[in-house]
Amino acid sequence: MLTTLQANQVAFNYPQNNCGLEPVTLTLKKNQGLFISGDSGSGKSTLTRCLSGLIPHLYRGEFYGEILIDKTSTRDLSMWEIANKVGLVFQNPAHQILAPTVESEILFGLENLGLSRSDMKFRLENTLTQFELIQFRNRSPHTLSGGEQQKLALASITARQPQTYIFDEPLSMLDTTSAVEFVKLLEKLITQGNAAIICEHREKYLQQSKNISKFLLHGKHRNIIHIPEKYQTYPSTNDPFLLQVSNLSVEKSGKKIIQNINFELQAGQIVAIVGRNGAGKTTLLRSLAGLQKFSGKTVIHDGKCNQKPLFNMVFQNPDIQLFNPSVKEEILYHIENPDFDRYRWLMDMLDLQRYEDTPPLLLSEGEKRRVALATALMRYSSHGILLDEPALGQDESHKQILVRLMKKLADAGFLIIYTTHDLELAAHADQLILLNKNGIVSQGKTSDVINLEAAWHKIGLIKPEWMALNV
Amino acid sequence: MFNLSQSGKTKTIQLNQSSPLRNLDPRTKLWMCLTISLAVMVPLDRLTLFFSGYILFVLWARLLPEMVRQVWRLKWILIVLFFVDWWLVSLELAIIITLRLTLLSGVFALFFSTTATTELGLALESLGIPYRYAFSINLAFQSIGLLQEEWHAIREAQQSRGIFIKFEGIRQLVKQLNDLIALTVPAIVLTTRRAWAITEAAYTRGFDSPNRQSYNEIKMKALDWFVIVSFLVVISLFIFWR
Repeated sequence: MLTTLQANQVAFNYPQNNCGLEPVTLTLKKNQGLFISGDSGSGKSTLTRCLSGLIPHLYRGEFYGEILIDKTSTRDLSMWEIANKVGLVFQNPAHQILAPTVESEILFGLENLGLSRSDMKFRLENTLTQFELIQFRNRSPHTLSGGEQQKLALASITARQPQTYIFDEPLSMLDTTSAVEFVKLLEKLITQGNAAIICEHREKYLQQSKNISKFLLHGKHRNIIHIPEKYQTYPSTNDPFLLQVSNLSVEKSGKKIIQNINFELQAGQIVAIVGRNGAGKTTLLRSLAGLQKFSGKTVIHDGKCNQKPLFNMVFQNPDIQLFNPSVKEEILYHIENPDFDRYRWLMDMLDLQRYEDTPPLLLSEGEKRRVALATALMRYSSHGILLDEPALGQDESHKQILVRLMKKLADAGFLIIYTTHDLELAAHADQLILLNKNGIVSQGKTSDVINLEAAWHKIGLIKPEWMALNV
Repeated sequence: MFNLSQSGKTKTIQLNQSSPLRNLDPRTKLWMCLTISLAVMVPLDRLTLFFSGYILFVLWARLLPEMVRQVWRLKWILIVLFFVDWWLVSLELAIIITLRLTLLSGVFALFFSTTATTELGLALESLGIPYRYAFSINLAFQSIGLLQEEWHAIREAQQSRGIFIKFEGIRQLVKQLNDLIALTVPAIVLTTRRAWAITEAAYTRGFDSPNRQSYNEIKMKALDWFVIVSFLVVISLFIFWR
């Protein structure tokens, strides 16, 4: 088989910290897929930047070793020459939108190939048809759903017909149905004579594929998780309470986002909300956090009186919250007389001790999420915590930390509600809520709801056969 | 097919497809805007007349709602300027300044409600601006909606951790300035990240290619030349007529 891409002892150090990529050697051939696995911070994203030529062409830092594309070093090629042979699809499709319409987004890459107008038109029409984007051709990509944006991101690279595709965590933001569809498309690209490298945490989706082999990436810091005995319990308790949600509906610009949501949850429960994109999962959390106007009623009964729910919320994107010069200052910001026992417990529990004096914005995505979680948990007077997609960017070991933390918080009397498209994480909840645009499709004990095939079908999600649910 | 957990819905500038100006070449519209902007130099009597003609033109172009929306955004600035000028100088100056600003802000609505950003890019390129700068200007206009959305998300996230930006007196000034940092640092970080992500996305699709060939092209039609000459004549009359 023809070698398309070769990396010899490739390593990189970013100038701002000593992290990056440890020496990696790999070879990729036509009709081959390589799935790169590794812990958070092991350098997967850095490797994708090296293989696509962004390092050393756009990044400053120490670049070692050599990457050969068709036997020519990336150092000796211009970015556009590399781009003609290697296509990179980024993790978040919204961040790679460059043009005002779907059509011009695809054309952007074609124009840079220097093709004639007739060739561009031919490829454009083919791509729009292949990816079922014809009806959106004059729409702004920003008005598409996330799934459609992901499709467009792949279409705009595929139209350029590179021989090698590189994907940076393509499954991280996809629900199970979309992830399975993505892997099918990936296999099709590989059998058509392309090569692909996929950096991903959610390995089970890719392990089943015959054409895709695994490559383990070792980072500079191995994650050794140690929780001292001293802080095994969460240093706070709540009185038992009941959260009652009645007829909760949200309307934005005349469009119903969620409607007639009714449920009752008790203190000490862990609740997962599952549904496809646009089902209103985040809107429901925002309503419970008091950030979204809604009709209906949310109330806490604690046996003595009724009160307004007080939940802390952790958002999907930690970058919108972090701004302090160190992790410690970030977590303790705006807290009068902080409880340092709780602080140390959280630092240990969330594996953040070694970053106490590090600026949070220099941490990896997964680490930033844990800082944002600690920031929310340091605040008092709350009935519980709302987590919007907490598994995003977290490797398996850190998902285990998250599960353990949620159980500790629940044991201390807090109500934990989280949205997720990671069904393995959802399986750790006590209660499962299946949500679609028309409201709650099913709610109950996780072990019961997980077996309601009709309900899963109704919300449009599939449970892959290989998925072991730890119910 | 695929579905993400984050939708990223964004407000974008809506094109008015029904306006007769939609079919004009973007360079013609740039010329129109330039000449209208020049008319703000004329004295009050002619300015009032010009303003009346301009309103009729906007009505014909079916762009009155867009213009009113644009001027409405500036209402407080216009009101304050009007009263300050009236109080400090004269009513005549107050009317002139208010009319001029209303005209200038309306001109932007006229252009952007009828011109796609790709057309703006092509117009800038044809006027000799290098592609990479024309592309950057294009992106800047496209990003306005995204910036608004991000600012809102940051405010909400900080409010959820108890950081509310409001004036609480001089004694609390240091605390309030710190809180302001809670908004500005994430905003700067997000904007920088977005700019960097776009740079990466552009380069991985051959942005620096010397072989670039544009798919769309713009061509001046007879109607464009007619509009250009008409505006030149009308504006000249208003400026030089004694």
